[in-house]
Amino acid sequence: MHIPDGFLSTPVWATLDLAVVPAVGYFARRAQGLEQSKVPLLGVMGAFVFAAQMINFPVGVGTSGHLIGAALLAYTLGPAAASVVLTAILVVQALVFQDGGTLALGANVLNMAVIGLLAGYLPYQIWGGGRWRRPAIFLGAMLSVMVSALLALSELLVSGVAMPATALRVSIGLFMIYGLLEGAITVAVLGALESMNVGFLRVPEASVSHRFKWVGLAAILLATFGALIASAYPDGIQRLTSEIGIGSHGRLRISTPLANYEAAFFQSGWLRKAAAGVAGVVVIYGVCALGGRILGRQRGK
Amino acid sequence: MHHVVLDRWGCGLSPVHRRDPRAKMLAALIFLVALATSHQSYLAVSAVYFALLVTAIFAAGLPPAAVLRRAALVLPFSLVFAAMSVASGDTTRAISLVVKSYLSALVVLVLVSTTPLPQLLGGLERTAVPRFLLLVVQFLYRYLFVISEEAQHMRAAAAAKGGSMGRVISRRRHFGAAAGAVGVLFARSYARAEAIHLAMLARGFAGHFRPLAKSSFRKLDAAFLAGAVAAIVLLRAAIEAWT
Repeated sequence: MHIPDGFLSTPVWATLDLAVVPAVGYFARRAQGLEQSKVPLLGVMGAFVFAAQMINFPVGVGTSGHLIGAALLAYTLGPAAASVVLTAILVVQALVFQDGGTLALGANVLNMAVIGLLAGYLPYQIWGGGRWRRPAIFLGAMLSVMVSALLALSELLVSGVAMPATALRVSIGLFMIYGLLEGAITVAVLGALESMNVGFLRVPEASVSHRFKWVGLAAILLATFGALIASAYPDGIQRLTSEIGIGSHGRLRISTPLANYEAAFFQSGWLRKAAAGVAGVVVIYGVCALGGRILGRQRGK
Repeated sequence: MHHVVLDRWGCGLSPVHRRDPRAKMLAALIFLVALATSHQSYLAVSAVYFALLVTAIFAAGLPPAAVLRRAALVLPFSLVFAAMSVASGDTTRAISLVVKSYLSALVVLVLVSTTPLPQLLGGLERTAVPRFLLLVVQFLYRYLFVISEEAQHMRAAAAAKGGSMGRVISRRRHFGAAAGAVGVLFARSYARAEAIHLAMLARGFAGHFRPLAKSSFRKLDAAFLAGAVAAIVLLRAAIEAWT
């Protein structure tokens, strides 16, 4: 789900744009550090993901789905390179195909190319080398779709886009179907790739700190399925929070800075508003540039 | 494919086309931010901004109807969410979603169809965006149409061999055949990337593309940027002061 501009509230898109800068810089450095031949490979594989979406997979009666590709890229190119490819795809989609916003690019990159991708890679990293490889591929591909869709949905809800409970349930059901389909397609495509050339798949090296990854995967599963359950019983959650008393506090904490920010802006004169807007752009640019430079220098050493 | 349209629009010679990509990008960014942060009188602001964009379209010599239609690609998504907002009783939000998403798509479209993507990315390269990422975007755009054509050929070949006759072969077989096709496409793309890399090395690729025409930020670009920003900011301020 690509969020267009105009959907997210200013604090949400501005925060996510800032948050995504160090992540993209880090992944770009990591992917670049591996080999020089990476640039054409990553670009062409991005084009491959676009083209692969033309090949339809039969799903039900008269309907068809297609590969989304985040997990497939992560298992073949590695997570850092896959993140760069996905970011590039999102940039091209936003600029050339009017699919996804420009200010919302940070949100879309974070949902799909950073968090969704990592969530999809984690099961493969844990089980990808052993007996549970195929279930891990399936689970990872499914998670990559569902986590990014749920993130997008929650960003929209935080921004105040209202959705009736039934519509919310239907869309989450759809995401689940997309997730299952992506899992099935990814397993089938990787099977085909392995029968051609075993070298395409990266086998994750056995690393030491498995406990950390287990905790991470447990957190992702808990959050994903917690969100599903919460969407099925929204009233129950609301009652629970109001009974415990965190509901009012939580809402207050989320909404105050935004309310003050907007009030402070809109009651002042137009000159101050304009100055504040320009200052905001300059500050955002400064922070982005500085963050990029610092990260670049650290990685360059 | 419809991408060709964008590339054809991009090679115009109008005054808007000839401005430095950075000036246009900055103006578009300020436009987007000004639009996204306007709340109370956003409808009036949007109407004025729309007029600004239409002026830019005419100044650039782009076909107005085609550009306006293409920006409407964003509308199906927006209309779904607008319908949901209406269903939950928030009509104001529904209108704002449609208007803002359309105008935002339109300004990006005007930017991209007056600035070819290589120039745009070249302009971004002078900012803090990682150059590696921009190179990957360049390659992606360059080979997008090559690999897509390959996928189209494969689809035509599959159809010629009976692959499109869903009733004849079982769904399971069809699924497997599609997975095989994606796998083959992957392998071909991979091999093509290796060949491209070797060809680049043979031609002495030094890690970045050299643009044919060196763009420099001239006084005219600064004047364009100042004018655009003044129009965007002052018009919004005037509307908000007036209402």
